[in-house]
Amino acid sequence: MAIIEVKNLCKTYVVNKRQNNVLKNVSFKIDKGEMVAIMGPSGCGKSTLLYSVSGMDRATSGEVVFEGKDITKLNETELTELRLDKMGFIFQQMYMMKNLSILDNIVLPAIESKKDTTTKKEKIARAEELMRKLGIIEVADNDINEVSGGQLQRACICRSMMNNPEILFADEPTGALNRQSSTEVVEEMRKLNKEGTTIMMVTHDAKVAAKCSRVLYIIDGRIEGEYITPSDLQDDKSRERSLNNWLMELGY
Amino acid sequence: MFLRILKKDLKRRKTINIIMVLFVILASMFVSSGLNNVITVANGTDYYLDQAGVGDYVVLTRDSERNCLDDILDSTDAISSYAIENIVMVDSRSLYDENDEILENSNSILVQSYEDSKLNFFDINNQTPEALTQGHCYITGSFIRDNNLSSGDCITLKAGNTEIELIVDGFVKDAFLGSDFMGNTRVLINSEDLRTLEDDEFNLNMFGQVCYIFSDDVDAVNAAFSSVDNLMFSAPRSMIKMAYVMDMIVAFVVLILSVCLMIVSFVVLKFVINLTITEEYHEIGVMKAIGISNFKIRSLYIIKYLIIAIVGSIVGLLLSFPFGELLIKSVTEKMVLGNSFGCALNIVGSLVVILSIVAFAYASTSKIKKATPVDAIRSGQTGERYSRKSALKLRKFKANIPSFMAINDILSNPKRYMSVVVAFAFCTMFVLILVNTVSTMKSDSFIDTFASRSDLYVTLTQEEDKEATYGYSTREQWEQFFDRKEQELEDLGMPSEIYVDFQYQCPVTVGEEEYMISCQQGFGTTMDDYAFYEGVAPSSPDEIAITPQIAEKLGVEIGDTVTINYGLETRNVTVSAYFQTMNQLGELIRIHEDAKTDISRWSSKMAFQVNFLDNPSKEEIIRRADELEGDVFFDCMTSEEYQIECLGVVPTMEAVQYLLLAITLLVVIFVTVLMERSFISDETKEIAILKAIGFKNSRIISWQVIRFGIVAFIAAVIAAALSVPMTHLCITPIFGMMGASNVDYVIDPLKILLIYPAIIVAMTVIVSFFTSLVTYEIKSSNTANIE
Repeated sequence: MAIIEVKNLCKTYVVNKRQNNVLKNVSFKIDKGEMVAIMGPSGCGKSTLLYSVSGMDRATSGEVVFEGKDITKLNETELTELRLDKMGFIFQQMYMMKNLSILDNIVLPAIESKKDTTTKKEKIARAEELMRKLGIIEVADNDINEVSGGQLQRACICRSMMNNPEILFADEPTGALNRQSSTEVVEEMRKLNKEGTTIMMVTHDAKVAAKCSRVLYIIDGRIEGEYITPSDLQDDKSRERSLNNWLMELGY
Repeated sequence: MFLRILKKDLKRRKTINIIMVLFVILASMFVSSGLNNVITVANGTDYYLDQAGVGDYVVLTRDSERNCLDDILDSTDAISSYAIENIVMVDSRSLYDENDEILENSNSILVQSYEDSKLNFFDINNQTPEALTQGHCYITGSFIRDNNLSSGDCITLKAGNTEIELIVDGFVKDAFLGSDFMGNTRVLINSEDLRTLEDDEFNLNMFGQVCYIFSDDVDAVNAAFSSVDNLMFSAPRSMIKMAYVMDMIVAFVVLILSVCLMIVSFVVLKFVINLTITEEYHEIGVMKAIGISNFKIRSLYIIKYLIIAIVGSIVGLLLSFPFGELLIKSVTEKMVLGNSFGCALNIVGSLVVILSIVAFAYASTSKIKKATPVDAIRSGQTGERYSRKSALKLRKFKANIPSFMAINDILSNPKRYMSVVVAFAFCTMFVLILVNTVSTMKSDSFIDTFASRSDLYVTLTQEEDKEATYGYSTREQWEQFFDRKEQELEDLGMPSEIYVDFQYQCPVTVGEEEYMISCQQGFGTTMDDYAFYEGVAPSSPDEIAITPQIAEKLGVEIGDTVTINYGLETRNVTVSAYFQTMNQLGELIRIHEDAKTDISRWSSKMAFQVNFLDNPSKEEIIRRADELEGDVFFDCMTSEEYQIECLGVVPTMEAVQYLLLAITLLVVIFVTVLMERSFISDETKEIAILKAIGFKNSRIISWQVIRFGIVAFIAAVIAAALSVPMTHLCITPIFGMMGASNVDYVIDPLKILLIYPAIIVAMTVIVSFFTSLVTYEIKSSNTANIE
């Protein structure tokens, strides 16, 4: 069952009076519980697609149907509520509130949510539980400049998961991390996916994309190919090799 | 390449650069106008008295022959030159409007020929007024304003049997009598009209002279005049200068405000430069990484700020002229203020701003040398600051998230908000100091320094005043008059006693030195009715009380003996007490009620005082004042009203209070808008991420508004707490110059703790709200392109 259905999505930027069509009639579906990677060369429109699908940016035309509702028709307040209660976000840069501790940054969306009727104590307990799960509980009271990049990105994942989102959007989540941190972060995301969270992720890294069940390849604002990870490939290395072969065929 | 980077930077960081330019404009405007005003005010009275030609000593006589000064002026070696004006000193109620109603005026009016005047008078634009034709006049002081007259209105001067119709040609500034403290009105008329007045024999006893004396030895001149009869007033230039002290309070408020605005400008400017350079750290790191030298990087930023400084300062310089005039307007209405430097001071002010900005930029970029490229890139990229700590924990905080974030921001980085707190607290405090001063001046705190306390202070009807002033020459006549008035009040069911204080010019000798000093004696009072702050009240005519000013002038203290000529006898008297008074700016001796003065030769008298014997309530006193005004007395004032009348400058002070409030609100608006814009620019990515994770605009606006609200509240609390001690510190010396060093300030808690702080906090919140609407432009998708 599709959680998101994108129909003929177009996005055009106007720079110095010149129109730049970044997304051209993009259509695809993501089923509930899927983990989908968006790949493609720099400037092909991957991030624009992610932001348009998640409602952070307005599409020029087309539809994005999320849980049966076209979110391109929603106003700013409705989109904000949707992002708060049903979506989670992870960015390449680990943006957090400078003056708050790691724990406070994580718990922030839960306290802001009206849907979540649990007490503040319960919310904090849930945040601590998430941090424990992602192995960063020891930095709960640290400031954001007192932790490593990997720890900070895991804190961002915790924050994105605080309101139990239906879908997690990740824009190059490992782009600013070293190999070790990158592996850890992707592993955590995979665990979340296995627990039922749908994930749509933009990445350049084939190693990361190989962990996904499906890969959409974009060139010049169009989906040029779709790769479904064969279910018989269980180990990471063979999944990665298979994906790389497919990408090479596309000229990546 | 270097220039291209600079050009690109000025374009790309347009918002923050525009904010910087606006700050520089403000700073340049404040500093340039402030510097000019400081110099103008510091030289204020001397400049004015010099321009008018007041000289070093001024004498006012009432003498029908107009010759009592001749011998002394010619024979005193200490007098190098002098100028004399002939005057007719008419009753205070001698001017009538077109409906034959008496025009409001409190003191005697000096009528003289404009053509023959020796003093330079100035019109409102500080130009010499045109010559007067017959039937036209100029009027000095606050008379025109008090009576809502304007140029072209027709008034009638009635003196003796003469009536002269005059068309008012306008207001002129009078350096000698124009201060609120001197309070005499001069009517300048054509010489033909003056001759008509002088030809009336009923006006003979109103003839007098004003003499402006130039001398290097003022003490010798003062001693020379101690033997002159018919002296109404004599004073050195220093005392005439002091009479402007109340007007100069206003000028000094402007001065303090100017200094304040300069400090605020520099504090805010330094903060914004620091902030913007921190914002540029990422780029600095990149430049360092690719091998550009520290010197070149620093030069790049210093040149950028130099360009901003030059552009902002030129605009600020142009704005400083009207702004400076606005600040000093209330003072220049009465005085001719100026300085010989002209606009050069404004230019110097702007140059100081430019140099300060370059110095701040130089200091702020010193971090460039210390930081490694990695430090700089990392700091710029994550927005981290060195050693930041979150001060609050959300789990322990009860209020909502915007409040939490606002309070946490302030506590986590108090230095960042310090400049706003300092700016707001400074301005608010000066508003509150002025509020305290005006409240005190409008109360009856100073009444003891003018006269004894009584229920009412009254002026007589015109006929009675004329009869008493020119008709009574013995104590018996005055006593009979008081008895008659007391009986009149008794018949109206208001048993009371009436008394008055007379002033006499008495020669006082201390050793070889002789002085002419004003002495005040109560008629109908005893020494117990007056306040003395040290020693014991004089118990007989052999004892006197003096003010600290007289103690200093004569070089005497309690227990010392001086010789005083009361008028009808000369006695060696002992100083028994000190008291304070604002009469004669503190240069006064209080003499015992039994001292043998010549009552026919009083030089001035205070208001008549009425004390009801049946102890009526305050409301009843006010009711009785209304009943008595018009029929029994010309004017009836409560102690508060009389104090305002004596101080004179209260309406101006009130106007300045509101001007200061307006300027403070202006500063609040500018600082809030510019600082908040700077903060929002710095916090763009945080705002974007909050929106991305689901925070509504309203919550982000609340965060911004609460933060500025808290900062304004802290500033208001600091200002309110400091306002009382600062009022004592700043204002008491000024009242001290006027003769009152021990001042009980009237603090209105409602105004100090609620109304004024609330106005400033409310304005901050409103401005902050409108400024924060700019966060609508920050989209959640900005997280994608923040870098």
